[in-house]
Amino acid sequence: MNRVVSRHWIFLGLFVLVALAMGSGIRLDTPVSDRTAELYDFIESLPEGSVLLVSFDHEASSLPEIRPIGQALLRHAFRKNHRLIGMALLAEGTAIGYRLMQQAAAEYGKEYGKDYAYLGFKPQYIAAILSMGESIPATFPKDYLGRPYESLKALDGVATYADVAGVLSIADGSLTTHWMEYGRARYGVRVVSGVTAAMVTTYDPYLASGQMYAMMGGLRGAAEYEDLIARPGGGKRGMLAQTATHLYVIVLIGLGNLSYFLARRKKETS
Amino acid sequence: MDIGTVIAGVLTLAVLSFLYRDNPVYKMAESLLIGVSIGYTLVVIWSSTLVDLLLRPLFLDGMLPLIIPLVLGLLMFGRFHRTTSSLSRLPIAVMIGSGAGVAIPAMLDARTLKQLSATVMPVVTASGIPDLSAIVIICGVVTTLCYFYFSREHKGALGSAATVGTWFLMVFFGTTFGYTVMSRMSTFIGRMEFLLTEFLHIAN
Repeated sequence: MNRVVSRHWIFLGLFVLVALAMGSGIRLDTPVSDRTAELYDFIESLPEGSVLLVSFDHEASSLPEIRPIGQALLRHAFRKNHRLIGMALLAEGTAIGYRLMQQAAAEYGKEYGKDYAYLGFKPQYIAAILSMGESIPATFPKDYLGRPYESLKALDGVATYADVAGVLSIADGSLTTHWMEYGRARYGVRVVSGVTAAMVTTYDPYLASGQMYAMMGGLRGAAEYEDLIARPGGGKRGMLAQTATHLYVIVLIGLGNLSYFLARRKKETS
Repeated sequence: MDIGTVIAGVLTLAVLSFLYRDNPVYKMAESLLIGVSIGYTLVVIWSSTLVDLLLRPLFLDGMLPLIIPLVLGLLMFGRFHRTTSSLSRLPIAVMIGSGAGVAIPAMLDARTLKQLSATVMPVVTASGIPDLSAIVIICGVVTTLCYFYFSREHKGALGSAATVGTWFLMVFFGTTFGYTVMSRMSTFIGRMEFLLTEFLHIAN
């Protein structure tokens, strides 16, 4: 079948559409889904000062989608005065996670070492998750900045998963699965997650079977969460562009099918 | 504008230039990404794995049992020569053996038993109303399993069930593809936001 429209025009159309949507400054209302509300309720319901382990299980390439998700969750947790312990199971997520935590902490006047700590990267994720179940200080004798574990007030009394209210895995791949398979199944730690949209269908069965406690997915999930914490960010800003691009894809699929059937009918009649 | 923003902006444009056609600027940006990623990962793994977990504890703290993983790791380099390649089988055997031992029970529990347990649910609620979600899930699981049953020809009742299973699979593929499109669009929107606000200052 001949190409009706060059792919360059399709890309250009997408570019113009996103630029217009971003430039318009219009913020769409996003009804909050039950899934996102459950995650919000989980963090909201924890007593002040609860310890949350935030694992940055993603690569640098997914940052545009991961950042609004991470920011919304970190802002909520810091606003609730929870103690946050950051870490990464992928090397590329290490510096990104540290930066996200620093930025969110600064917004709420939180102090490193006292209100939050960052343990850094640990290779061999299965071994790391299992090892933390036995002893977190033994797995991470020093934090990301090289300070001894015992010297950080934020880590006081945190020895195993039993001292942690939950693991919050921010992921763009299948690493959250390992938190459930090893952390939850063996040590009973509660696992919640913020994942890229592409991973939502992978984790839905875990959510339905109760292995994952709560989850939010993609830019849409971030926008919903920003509504819940009344703190607009990248998610809200991107929702008009997201909606416009989805409509654009639907129109393209419709046009593609129409041109296919027209070409087939023309072939049949000739 | 700081230098990091300028570099990120220029590289984003370089990568997007591929949408027009393959070109040297795109290739340079791609090579840079691969090089920086590998370099960064190597540095992180060197410092947080080899130095922190092996070299420092072994040579400074005198933890002698760490000689075992050190030797096993060195044996892996045997693969680089024909005469010593068989030596690498030992560390590989240790990795596969221990890995499978740890993974099989955990995966069987989380991916099969727990999912089966979640599938076996009452099709009628406590108030006597049929639970549509439960019925759909059970139908989906049974008919999809019928589709993957290859020991009999898909004819008659089995064929009909397999056809219904195909519909369920198509719905799953469609949903997954839709979410993937959403994810890729989000990435593009994120970069566009960066370009229009931080880099070009066109939008607020």
